[in-house]
Amino acid sequence: MAALLWCSPLSGAVPVGSSHGTEVLQRRCLQCHGPATRMGELDLSTRESALRGGTRGAALVPSDPARSVILARVAADEMPPGNPLSETDKDALRAWIAAGAAWPDSIEERRAGRDWWSFQPLDAAAPPHPEPATPVWLASPIDRWVLAGLQAFGLQPSPEAARRDLIRRVTYSLTGLPPTPEETEEFVRDRSPNAYGQVVDRLLSSPHYGERWARHWLDLVRFAESEGFERDLPRDHAWPYRDYVIRSFNEDKPYLQFAREQMAGDVMERPTRDSVVATTMLTLGPVDAVGLTSAIPSERALIREDMLEEMVGTVTQTFLGLTVNCARCHDHKFDPISQEEYYRVKAAFQAVWPPTRPVPAAGLDVLFPYGKPLLTPQESQSRLTRVHRLEHEIERVSAALGSLYRKARPPDPYAESPQPFARWTFDTDGRSDFAPLHLRLVGNVEVGTGRLRPRTGEADAEPAGRDEDGPDSGSGFGVSRMLDQEIGAKTLEAWIDVESVPEKSVTVMEIRGLSGFRGASVDGIRYEAGENPRWENASVGQFRSKDTGGAPEQLQPGGRIQVAIAYDEDGTITLFRNGARQGDSYTPDPGIPAGRLQIYRPGDALVRFPANKHLHVAEARLYDRALSEADVGASYRAGILDLKRTDLQHRLVGEDRSRAADLELERAALRSHLDELPSPDLAHSASIRALEPTHVLIRGAVDNPGKQVLPGGLSCIRGLQEDLGTQAGSSEGARRRAMSEWIASPDNPLFARVVVNRIWQAHFGRGFIDNPSDFGYNGGMPSHPELLDRLASDLARQGWSLKALHKRILQSRTYRQASRFDADAAAKDADNRLLWRFPHQRLDAESVRDSMLAVSGDFNRTLYGASFRPFEFGEQRGSLKRYMLTDGDTPDLRRRTLYRMNVITAGDPLLEALDCPLPSVKTPRRRSTTTPLQSLSLMNNAFVQHRATGFAARLRREAPDLEGQIARAFELAFGRRPDRAEMEASRVLAGRHGLDSLCWGILNASEFLYVR
Amino acid sequence: MSASTSRRRLLLDAGGGFGWAALASLLPRGAVRAGPRAAPHFTPRAKRVIQVFAVGGMSHVDTFDFKPELQRRDGTPYTMPTFFGQGGSLRACPWEFRRHGRSGLWMSGLLPQLAKQADRLTVVRSMVSKSANHMPAVAQMNTGFILTGFPAMGAWVTYALGAENENLPAFVVLPDPDSHPWGGSAQWTNGFLPAAAQGTAFRTHSDGAPVPDLATPREISPEAREDASAWLRRMNRNYAQEHPGDSTLEARVRNYEIAARMQLSVPGIADLNQESEATRKLYGTDDEDTSSLARNCLLARRLVERGVRFVQVYQGGSGKSWDAHSNLVKNHEDMAKEYDRPVAALLQDLYERGMLEDTLVLGVTEFGRTPVSQGTGETAGRDHHPACFTCWMAGGGLKAGLAYGSSDGVGYKPAENEVTIYDLHATALHLMGLDHERLSFYHNGINRRLTDVHGRVVEALLA
Repeated sequence: MAALLWCSPLSGAVPVGSSHGTEVLQRRCLQCHGPATRMGELDLSTRESALRGGTRGAALVPSDPARSVILARVAADEMPPGNPLSETDKDALRAWIAAGAAWPDSIEERRAGRDWWSFQPLDAAAPPHPEPATPVWLASPIDRWVLAGLQAFGLQPSPEAARRDLIRRVTYSLTGLPPTPEETEEFVRDRSPNAYGQVVDRLLSSPHYGERWARHWLDLVRFAESEGFERDLPRDHAWPYRDYVIRSFNEDKPYLQFAREQMAGDVMERPTRDSVVATTMLTLGPVDAVGLTSAIPSERALIREDMLEEMVGTVTQTFLGLTVNCARCHDHKFDPISQEEYYRVKAAFQAVWPPTRPVPAAGLDVLFPYGKPLLTPQESQSRLTRVHRLEHEIERVSAALGSLYRKARPPDPYAESPQPFARWTFDTDGRSDFAPLHLRLVGNVEVGTGRLRPRTGEADAEPAGRDEDGPDSGSGFGVSRMLDQEIGAKTLEAWIDVESVPEKSVTVMEIRGLSGFRGASVDGIRYEAGENPRWENASVGQFRSKDTGGAPEQLQPGGRIQVAIAYDEDGTITLFRNGARQGDSYTPDPGIPAGRLQIYRPGDALVRFPANKHLHVAEARLYDRALSEADVGASYRAGILDLKRTDLQHRLVGEDRSRAADLELERAALRSHLDELPSPDLAHSASIRALEPTHVLIRGAVDNPGKQVLPGGLSCIRGLQEDLGTQAGSSEGARRRAMSEWIASPDNPLFARVVVNRIWQAHFGRGFIDNPSDFGYNGGMPSHPELLDRLASDLARQGWSLKALHKRILQSRTYRQASRFDADAAAKDADNRLLWRFPHQRLDAESVRDSMLAVSGDFNRTLYGASFRPFEFGEQRGSLKRYMLTDGDTPDLRRRTLYRMNVITAGDPLLEALDCPLPSVKTPRRRSTTTPLQSLSLMNNAFVQHRATGFAARLRREAPDLEGQIARAFELAFGRRPDRAEMEASRVLAGRHGLDSLCWGILNASEFLYVR
Repeated sequence: MSASTSRRRLLLDAGGGFGWAALASLLPRGAVRAGPRAAPHFTPRAKRVIQVFAVGGMSHVDTFDFKPELQRRDGTPYTMPTFFGQGGSLRACPWEFRRHGRSGLWMSGLLPQLAKQADRLTVVRSMVSKSANHMPAVAQMNTGFILTGFPAMGAWVTYALGAENENLPAFVVLPDPDSHPWGGSAQWTNGFLPAAAQGTAFRTHSDGAPVPDLATPREISPEAREDASAWLRRMNRNYAQEHPGDSTLEARVRNYEIAARMQLSVPGIADLNQESEATRKLYGTDDEDTSSLARNCLLARRLVERGVRFVQVYQGGSGKSWDAHSNLVKNHEDMAKEYDRPVAALLQDLYERGMLEDTLVLGVTEFGRTPVSQGTGETAGRDHHPACFTCWMAGGGLKAGLAYGSSDGVGYKPAENEVTIYDLHATALHLMGLDHERLSFYHNGINRRLTDVHGRVVEALLA
């Protein structure tokens, strides 16, 4: 390993020379005598701890080399064991002690330099040749390094594990499920030398292998199927990424390709559906959709920067094991990563957004999580072309129909009444008269019956007004084209048919400007429900709303009323009902910056009719001036024509009539063609917006941009060019692709080391490095650096096959050791860093739940597909929807835990008690705690009861008598038969209280929940 | 290690080879400072915390922060950025402010009962927070961060100090029975701290068990459970003996015993009928206007009395809250009516039992409300206002009857002695005997703290 540099407290960031004694300690001694390892109780990392010393007393005496134990040990070549210091190092150490042994005085001032071990190229050292107790330990380089490490400390490996333990262990390692009793017995019987290898091969080709390892991966990339923040809206299209990950593991996709696809799969040379889905990884961070529409630009910018930091953090921690995100506000505190480099990495992802479904035409002021159509550019183009052609045809036919029907209309009764700017009669199809503000119909809404209303026979539409729940919530509305001229002073007039009395306030007609605050400024006709029911002006934040003090509205079902609101040039707002003024005119607060009168601008405003089942709109009019009471009264007296489409059809004569019928047929056919166009599959893949320049933000402040930067790599990784070869004019795709190839590069030593360490950790419970997503200074030194590098270079040599890597690890004698405890070994190496045994480990939360399903026989093994949802998403005494867990036990809920929808605020108490993390938190390593609440959940959770019952039923099916049933239970859950005492105790329990009680006990047993 | 520390540690820790002790040795150089601990850094002034959270944003200028200038300038235009992007005219406080107690603390007529406790309050009128948005604002008050995934203060305190009563969770959350706060359980998460530190939300909205999975399912008879537990204990004990050197296996055996005791003790704690009628009346548990918060405040006292370390009581949530965008008068009168008596009773009750001197009570909210009106007329409200708001504290180690910090003439910004949420957290931890800079946990490359890289103890608040 290369030399390491420390910073002296006096010289700040300037590394001191290699002659410094602490450098020798760092490089050669701290691996075993550091704060994390403390072999022989000795920690040489600080002056204080070194002087305190270990089991042999003070390590050294400053200024007195002769009395310094450490020098005696290294001079005698006893330390480091088996690999003595060079003479130069010994001299440096001696000189440093003689000079007073100055340490850097605080931990903060220590950091990794460019020669930190993990930035160096892979070391191709040959494995050592320890003298083994049995020659099988020489077959694999893994075992040779591990054995050499053990022997250096006078330790010996454990004997091979019992075959029952081994098959249970390896089955959990690769599939997260227990072996069946049949698999166990077959392996126990099969004494052929390749029996174990065959088991490993069988498990690696099981589809459950991909599921198990996908879960490990999803932890890293914080796979969250909801947005977080106050809405925590569900992400309905994130699951294809989960399937992509499972499939990639099952197909043994080369890891290099797997990584590149997730960063840039949509812009690779030949993108595939899979590679596009892969980019979902970038978009899984939390999204503050409300904050992104804040009125305060700096707040919006800050939220966006937070999102990008999260993205950069995920990418660099996952693939490089570096916390590049820590350099957003200043140079990295521990690693040689400059602030500018953070912004260069960020620049490659600058245009990446989560896919959302903006609904500007509907005037919605928020973005909803959505999916990106999974189409190639050609497919996308041809689909769009077809859609546009059909829409164009429909428009042409509609226009022809519209003019036919208009011909059939009787003369307007409006001769005496004011001329509207636009009018909607809903007798044909939402087309308008006068100004071309034709309506598009969205969601559950229909016209053509002379009314705008929800389609009959469908579920009640949510009262519109607060669009909290997204475009798919079942509400419907008609929304007009954009205005083509400015509207300042105005009058809105609606003729309303009362079906029933709304319990909540509803807006029936509104005019919306789209570029105002939160994408909307609004005026509209709104029914205010409550103690004092009335009509009122609708406005955002109710700034221009007021109770005008008219008589309370007493709606009569079956009745029709005319409501109008006039908005005068000076801001005066007047409300009319059935031609008469209601209460007093008023003027909104002059302090409102937007002014008293809202001006709606061409190309930026539209008229919208939210449909609701209580109040239908029979006709609506927009005037480009404030009508007087006399005008509104004249309009009221003139009334409306109140025609349906069928009325008009009947009024048509001769050729017009047959022509209209033909056109109706043609339009229906066109619409069904449009409906029948297959809708593309959707995934939560990266959505690319316009590329904006990236500036270094001084101290991370969004309002303090510094120099502009282009995408680039990190300069600290040796063997890689930090220049990506992209220019100012390079496309977004070229930039991101170049970054993905820089990160996932065969020449990048970190890229391979990090994944090898993760896989080692998943098998052994801990990696060579304890902080698997931090290979920088804070991650410390690896326990077996040469072995790590050997496996990393072999990975690249073997075509980045992870299955090949698994095979090597699982076939090693190191993995196959028993997990027996040895007090002597534990005294020397309590944490088993040297691997003197296989560690005893509790199953993770998912494996516990899955194992309960597997042994109880209730397991729904369906692979892939949409996530199951053990909750309802609904309103509970509030305006925001929440997730409410259900206790059901239907077959779809009995799928593997991996397929449970990973909603941030819908965690499961049983899984959480077993240390299942929040999905939004990157979790490179699961914790394993034991708490009373965990016991309570395992004791009483409804899921555990269901499984105990199912388990008992299975036993009754599979064995005829109680003894047989008990034996079967032990075989299924523990992989062994009960001994005599266990059989007796179990018989007593089951005899007295039934098999369910015994099954409950088994599902709670440590032997079931742990792997040895 | 004393017997009790070791037991505590076993309880907290006990991971499959990955508990506190193991964890400490796993930590890389430079990250060891936090270390395992079940003891304060220095002598604490308070042993336990009750945090009362007024969800939605309680208006500072209508409760604790008297602004004569605002009263004078009522109705005059005032330009300021607000969350909804529209300023308006200044609006006077509709309630009368008066001085209270010997300390002469200013409080409005909205909180008459709490005003009688004025001499026990330490009011901070110069609070600032980062977000004008509900969920991040609640998150910041709880965790110091506006993103989710960070541990709540209760989790930090539990991590640092452990539980006093091993039959109860150390960190209990009492949500409003009508409505959960924005973000739900993410607001009392352990984040990256061990699961033992997470808040246990009692189910306050139903008459069922207060803790999930607390009750033995109805279809299981007590005898069946008892016999099955005995079978299990024998199996687990044998397994633990076969695997020496793994303390978690012994911990599992013990935890089943503790869990069984919790099944017995927790329902009793939640039974408020064990309190005297006078006490129930003091809190207002049977009065419709106050019962939901009153029950939770009384339950909070019962919990800390029995050794729970940190209790969080929420008033309001996404359905009902202090979020008075419109109808300020009606909204704040309704919310204050529910808040006033139970919270005042809590202080009085703690005092009478001699517990106030080593209990820290925190009265917090998300943000204040704008000095300008939102909307006009009778139905007008006030918008979100993170730039300045008020929190109060009471109990162990605080200067009582103190109003600290001040805002400008209309309550728009702090005028002197600005206090950030980090400062509030640092001060609360200090009172618990914890140094906010030393209480840290290594996670994904950083030694994380409740106070991030900020925070200072506000010495002026300390007695």
